Amino acid sequence: MSIQIKLSRASRVYRPNEHLQGVIVTTSTNSISHQGIRITLNGTVNLQIRAGMAGVIDSFYNVVKPISIINKSSEIQSSGKLGAGTTEIPFSITLSSQQHDGGERFYETYHGANISIQYLLTADMVRGYLHKSLSTTIEVIIESDKAYLAAAPVSPETVSFYITQDTQKHPLLPELLSGGFRVTGKVSTCCSVSNPITGDLVVEASATPIQSIDILLLRTESILAGDKILTDTSVVQTTQVADGDVCRGMTLPIYVIIPRLLMCPTILAGRPFSVEFQLTVVVSFQSELSKRQPKSDLRTPRLWVAMETLPLRLIRTK
Amino acid sequence: MTVMELKIRARDYGAELAAATLPRVPAGSHPLANCPSSQQVKDVSREEVDFDDPLRATTRKVEDFSKNVEQVELATTRGIDHELNKVSSKEWAAFKRSLTQRFPVTQTISTTLTSDIVMRSDRAPEKSLASVHLDELDDPKKFAEKEARVLTKQEYLSQLNEFKEEIRRAWLAGDRVTSLRTSIKVARLLLDTSVLQFYPTLFVLVIDTMDMLGDLVWDRIKKKAEFSDDGSQICSLSGTFTSNDVCSEAKETCSNWFCKIGSIRELLPRIYLELAILHCYRFLQDNFFATIQRLTMMMRGIADPLAYIYCHLYMVSCVHKLPLPSTDFLIDSISDIETALKRIVLVKESSEENYEHRKMLFNLMEPTIEWIMKCVFRGCSQSKINDVSVKVGLGRNQLTMTENVPCISIILHHFIKQLPIEVVNTKAWEILQVIECCNDISLDQYFNFRLLGLKLSECRPTRNVADAIIGRIFQAGSQLDDIYKYLKVADAYLDLVLQYQMDQYLAIILGGIFVRIGSKRATEDESDSLQSIYGKILNHFCNLEDIFSLDYFIEILDTVHGVSRNTVNMRILKKATRNGYIQDPRMIQLLFEVARSLHDSIDYANMKNEDHQQPSHHICLFVSKVDFVADLEQHLTFLIECRAVFRNTNEIKETLVHSCNSLAVKAIRDEEKRLDFVRSCIAFNEVTIPSITNVIGRMNSYLETAEVALLGGLVPHTDELIESAIDTLRSLEMSDGAQLPSGVGGIFPLVRKLCSFLVIVPGNLDEGTTWAPRNIISTVNPVSCTIPEFRIKTFCAVLLLSAALAQDKLPYHSDNREIVGNDQLFFGEPSYFRELESISSVVLQNLIDGVQQESSPVVRGNLALEACNCVVSSFEASHETTRICAKLMEIAKSCLQSKHGYLQNTLRVTNKYIANVPVNVSAFSAPTIQRESISSSPLQ
Repeated sequence: MSIQIKLSRASRVYRPNEHLQGVIVTTSTNSISHQGIRITLNGTVNLQIRAGMAGVIDSFYNVVKPISIINKSSEIQSSGKLGAGTTEIPFSITLSSQQHDGGERFYETYHGANISIQYLLTADMVRGYLHKSLSTTIEVIIESDKAYLAAAPVSPETVSFYITQDTQKHPLLPELLSGGFRVTGKVSTCCSVSNPITGDLVVEASATPIQSIDILLLRTESILAGDKILTDTSVVQTTQVADGDVCRGMTLPIYVIIPRLLMCPTILAGRPFSVEFQLTVVVSFQSELSKRQPKSDLRTPRLWVAMETLPLRLIRTK
Repeated sequence: MTVMELKIRARDYGAELAAATLPRVPAGSHPLANCPSSQQVKDVSREEVDFDDPLRATTRKVEDFSKNVEQVELATTRGIDHELNKVSSKEWAAFKRSLTQRFPVTQTISTTLTSDIVMRSDRAPEKSLASVHLDELDDPKKFAEKEARVLTKQEYLSQLNEFKEEIRRAWLAGDRVTSLRTSIKVARLLLDTSVLQFYPTLFVLVIDTMDMLGDLVWDRIKKKAEFSDDGSQICSLSGTFTSNDVCSEAKETCSNWFCKIGSIRELLPRIYLELAILHCYRFLQDNFFATIQRLTMMMRGIADPLAYIYCHLYMVSCVHKLPLPSTDFLIDSISDIETALKRIVLVKESSEENYEHRKMLFNLMEPTIEWIMKCVFRGCSQSKINDVSVKVGLGRNQLTMTENVPCISIILHHFIKQLPIEVVNTKAWEILQVIECCNDISLDQYFNFRLLGLKLSECRPTRNVADAIIGRIFQAGSQLDDIYKYLKVADAYLDLVLQYQMDQYLAIILGGIFVRIGSKRATEDESDSLQSIYGKILNHFCNLEDIFSLDYFIEILDTVHGVSRNTVNMRILKKATRNGYIQDPRMIQLLFEVARSLHDSIDYANMKNEDHQQPSHHICLFVSKVDFVADLEQHLTFLIECRAVFRNTNEIKETLVHSCNSLAVKAIRDEEKRLDFVRSCIAFNEVTIPSITNVIGRMNSYLETAEVALLGGLVPHTDELIESAIDTLRSLEMSDGAQLPSGVGGIFPLVRKLCSFLVIVPGNLDEGTTWAPRNIISTVNPVSCTIPEFRIKTFCAVLLLSAALAQDKLPYHSDNREIVGNDQLFFGEPSYFRELESISSVVLQNLIDGVQQESSPVVRGNLALEACNCVVSSFEASHETTRICAKLMEIAKSCLQSKHGYLQNTLRVTNKYIANVPVNVSAFSAPTIQRESISSSPLQ
């Protein structure tokens, strides 16, 4: 005996003001009676504070309450009986926050490190006193309402960058300082989450052979706890664009597909929390030292690494 | 046993021959004679029109046919792009195979980077970061050195196959994430280029896995697009569908795949996997150029040149699955590859090791460049091809050309290779100039010179162009210092030189070779090229004199050794012997040297018979074609010289004997019978023949010489030679009979020939008139060491000989009228006839026993019949002979089937023969037969 939710869209993606539709599928070998089938949509922003975040003291652990976005429930079948075999019970919920006037807007689904925005759809079948209730949960993915979206920018905003031994704030190997290097390029800093981040870079010069060039996508999550803002930055995805000592003067494309769910349109400060993104170009050079630490975190400023971090604003476009 | 009463039957050979031959009527015309010429021409012209032989189809028909084929091809390519792709996918498969074969893998592969992937089965549990740090502190050096592990090729391959199987298994189980993960692992293997030789093989194996994954993904998405969840069909995607035909759900799945692959951290696996499912972009979009362009650019991030170029190769193969109007994007690939190669070419460092490494790299890259260039010419638009030609340096104006860095040699090479010959023809001079400024490590310049030569020979340029180009290449102080390179290039241009009869260049080329090769021995490779060059020259000239008069021809030939030398020598001899006799003494001397070098190079001891048969054959032909016309002495001297040189083969010695005999006959036929010369010829042969180790050859030579001696009237010589021949026979008998060369069939005809020759040889009064037949009998008589079949056949031959000798008139006489036949010599001499009868009776006595010794029934039966026929035709019927015949027939009947034709015929003749026996004699014969049968019964 089982209960399942099947959504009308295989992608599970819905937008505000749309009807979240689907069927509840029950399978059973013999007929069962129940005391009502209920469907609940619960959207929350979960904020978690971990050790290691800037300015955290132990007492703050897990004290931040989740923020509710939507909590809608409706009975789709009052008590009754279901026949043996497979039964499909259709349901439909309108995605609107009208119940909560002045409540939170719909944030897009986001699975972060400390902040996660989730929409869970639960179907419950209450079976009276002696029987165990049946329940199942499925995550629904919410994207911004198309009606309110800006059109995709004709030419995405790009920023030029250049990385040389002089732009680095951390100490470098002496051979890097003496030999010098110059990596330049441009990359879009405001782009649609559904499009890849594009750009290009050129190794114009480098006396020291290059080990690798990687593009890091970083997220900066800030949570307002009390009167403090706690901020944490972590890597979402690493994408290598150059493997080894590439040709000088060749244009290498930057093409990074934005991972779904792990990134969402930027949520700016001014709320109990904010989610912002950054892009870092990391150039690692070949050196004896780097060989000894093959698995070092690219974000750490090492002697053989040069980097440039750029802000990245993500938006949802039509 | 008592001497039998025998009477040799008198025979009239002429009458018998006339009775036995078929009636003959003179024919009106020769059946093989040519028809009158005018009629023939007419026939031929008619043939051209009507004759329906597919192998002889006229050129017009062929053109029609090819036109049809073209039309069909056009139709198919227009209809469905896939047809074209299918053809190339077959080629691609062949290319992949050749890739693995071209770079065979040594048995072990030491891996560094990949070891943790491939050897994951025995991988230690992951160390915590802390312990890694501790290790590092303990022994930083050890940690720095990557652990190289050695795997056998087999282990590696089986591990790869296991991965492939795992991907498939996981996919079937619905665990597509695992499939993808394993595929990424497999693609990562291509990051390791440390074992250069292994890379092509590895590449093929990995892309097979990638293709498999690509097809699995394709099938899945296609299924999604065509069928809904519950299995009902939504639509059917034809071969030419567009993204509009695909439902959003399938599109969703498809873009999910690209997202997943996009999140792979490392560049190379990410590119490979995107390429693997590249054809799935068809579900999402209809224009693929941006994607292909991006991928091409992304590849630039792969710094390792080998990995980089093979990645391009994979892209070319993947792109073929997309419906593209042209493959113009390949131009970017080519120019990117060129940039990458320039880096290697321009490396300043020039240590020996580094040089070898770079050479090896180019060697490994060559097939990929060749393939990509091929695809450029197959699929790119003409304007793009022009772009490439500008890139390699064609079509630029002269000024800029000198300024620009020349193109990479290896790219230029494959570009020219693919260039249509018409273009080569029109731009030959320009191409030559580009080749001249392009000389780098990637491919030696001479390959390009050579290629141009080969291309030009195909396209038949105008004489002026050919003249200019050849002149330029072979001008004095040409860049080709190395003899090997020079030979390779010369070989390529030789066709042109010969075709246009540019003799001055032929002289320059030969001179150039001579200067470069000096007096040293040509190496094997050089010899191969020289062989090809000599082959072309020999083919071109009709006259050997012209060839030998070329400067340095002989000198250069002397530097060639081994197999190539033999091949050239044989071709020279073949050419020399093709047209009639060789009479020019200088030519004979040259050819003699050629033959001598050919002979000396053959290692007779260590070669199989078949291997040296051909050279020997050519030498024989040469010897037999030599002709000094009237100067017989010189010819004999030549033969003596030959004998001294060609010691090793029987075949040649037999030819020498034969030539000498012809010489002797010539002398005999001469007006002034030069008997002294004939004697010296025979003396030559008497010395030569014993050294022929092959018994049949020796025997044959003896007989031939004996005949010549008799023709010359030298009876004592004849007797000596016959004796030697019989001795030869005896030496054969001494050896085991089973080892007879080519069995009884090989030697027996010679015995028969000997006997028929003996008919005309006058009896020797000193030795006894019938010494020769007696000698033969005594040779074969020792029962222990003779094959029964051979023995009986020899007996029969002797019987027939005796019968012939006993006639009043011999069946034939010697051509030399001075030789008196035995019929006249012993006319009516009773002792002579007694002698013959006694020989016959000795033979007859042994006949039946001999037949019975034969073990094979069929052979025994046939022998009995033969013997019986022999007796019947030779002797008058008497009780003795009829008894023998009856006995022989009995044996024959017991051995052969009654329907046997030979048996029936012989039976008829024998019955008639037995019936002829006088009555009174047959009354006596009964007890004799009985006694005989009793005495012989134990034998039966």
